[in-house]
Amino acid sequence: MSELRKDPIIGRWVIVAPERSARPKEIKQTQEERGKICVLCEGGESNTPPEILAFRNPGTEPNSPGWQVRVVPNKFPALKVEGELGKSGVGIFDMMNGVGAHEVIIESPSHELDFAFLPVEQIEKVLRAYKSRILDLANDRRFRYTLIFKNQGARAGASIAHPHSQLMALPITPKRLKEELIGAKAHFDYKERCIFCDIIRQERELKTRVISEMGNFITIAPYASRFPFEMWILPSQHHSDFMSVSDDDIAGLAQILKDSLLRLAKALSNPAFNYVIHTAPYRRPRRDYWTTIDEDYHWHIEIMPRVTTPAGFEWGTGFYINPTAPEDAAQYLREEEI
Amino acid sequence: MSATILVVDDEESIRKLYQLELMDEGYNVILAADGQEALQKVERENPDLVILDIRMPKVDGIEFLDRFAQTGKRLPIIINSAYTDYRMDITTWAAETYMVKSSDISDLKAEVKKLLAGKSSTFVNPKSI
Repeated sequence: MSELRKDPIIGRWVIVAPERSARPKEIKQTQEERGKICVLCEGGESNTPPEILAFRNPGTEPNSPGWQVRVVPNKFPALKVEGELGKSGVGIFDMMNGVGAHEVIIESPSHELDFAFLPVEQIEKVLRAYKSRILDLANDRRFRYTLIFKNQGARAGASIAHPHSQLMALPITPKRLKEELIGAKAHFDYKERCIFCDIIRQERELKTRVISEMGNFITIAPYASRFPFEMWILPSQHHSDFMSVSDDDIAGLAQILKDSLLRLAKALSNPAFNYVIHTAPYRRPRRDYWTTIDEDYHWHIEIMPRVTTPAGFEWGTGFYINPTAPEDAAQYLREEEI
Repeated sequence: MSATILVVDDEESIRKLYQLELMDEGYNVILAADGQEALQKVERENPDLVILDIRMPKVDGIEFLDRFAQTGKRLPIIINSAYTDYRMDITTWAAETYMVKSSDISDLKAEVKKLLAGKSSTFVNPKSI
C-alpha cells in the first residue's frame, strides 16, 4: 500500500508507492550525450571566457593548458554580474535587474571520466573551488545567496558530457532555501535543537535509511525522498555554512561524495542526476534577517537521480510520487560493492 | 570586396528580412533553411560570418555547431534564436555571440560589423590540436 510521507523540514508531502516499487534493474538506463565537440577540454581554453580561478601545474600561465580545475564565467549567462539591482515595483509586481554571477566549474581537463570516477583528490579540488568561489562572492554585497549545482546527463539538463558544475550568485535567497530556513527555525524555536541534527541522530539509530558514514559525514536516503535513490550528504557535526568547512573536512567530503555517486552509478548504470549544495545564505546586516541561522540551519548536499519525470500531478500539487521506498533504495545502495 | 554573410533560419520571412537589411549595409548575403543546407553552403561558398537560428528541421543550430567544429574550419557565428533557454547549453559557447531575435535588428547588424572587424572565430576544437 502506498504511503503519504511529510518532509519534516519543509512540510512537503511525498507519495511513496511501494507497490510500484522499481528495483534498480528495472530503472537502469543508458545515457545519451548530445554533441561531440567540447568547449571545456584542456587545449581549448580560448573557447571560454578568461578564468576566474584555476588550480594549475606550477609554471603554467592562466588560460593555457596545465590545469586540474578551472572556473570561468558562463559565456552566455542567465544573469549578468554588471549593474545595480534597481529594485522597483510595478503595481503589485516586484522586479529588479537581472544581476547575478553565473560561473562554470570545469571539474577535469578531459571528459573521458564522469565525475564519480575521477580520483578523489580531483573531487577534493572541485570542492575547494566551490568553497573559494562562495567565499569570494560573499564580498559582493548585492548577493544574498550562491547556489552550486551540478547537472550530469541529458535527462538532468546537461548539454555536454565534460564534467562540470555551475554556480549562480543571486540577489535574493531562493524560495526553496527559504522554506528550509523557515522550517529549520520553527523546529529550533520549539525544541531548541537543529532539525537536521535530530534527523541524523534518528537515522543513525534506525539505520534503515543510512547509506554510508565516513569520517565527519553521513549519506542518507531522506525519509520523504522525492525521487528514487535520492541521497543527502550531511556533516555529522552541526555546521550551518559550507563556507566554514575545514580543509580536512573537504577531503572527507570528497571521499563520501565519490562513494555515494559511485554507489548510484553502479546501482543504476550511471544515471543522470543533479546535485545541489544547500548552505546558509550570506548574512547581511538587516533587521531580523535569519539571525539564528548558525544554530538552526545545517548545510548539506542533495543528490537527485533523474530516473522519473515530474508531470502534471507533481506540478499541480507540489507533491511528488516516488516509486522506490527510501529504505529499499538505501539497502540497494549500501549493498553495492565499491 | 564586401563580406559574405550566411543567414540560416527555417522561416522564410526572417531570411528575406535579414537579406534585405544586410544587403542594405553592403554585404553579400546567402541563405540556408536548415543546418544541413548551411553546412553545404559553408563548404561551397566560404562565407565570412554565419547568423544561426537554433530550432530548425533536419539539422538544428546546435548540431550545426557540432558538425561545423569537426570540419576544423573557423568562422565567427552569431546565434540568433527566439529562445533564451539555449543559453544554458554550453555547446553554444562554440559561437561568438548569442542574441535573442528581435524585430529591431540594429543590434544584430552592430554585432555583425563588430565581429567582421575582428574577423576570425575564437573557437578552437581541442581535438584538432
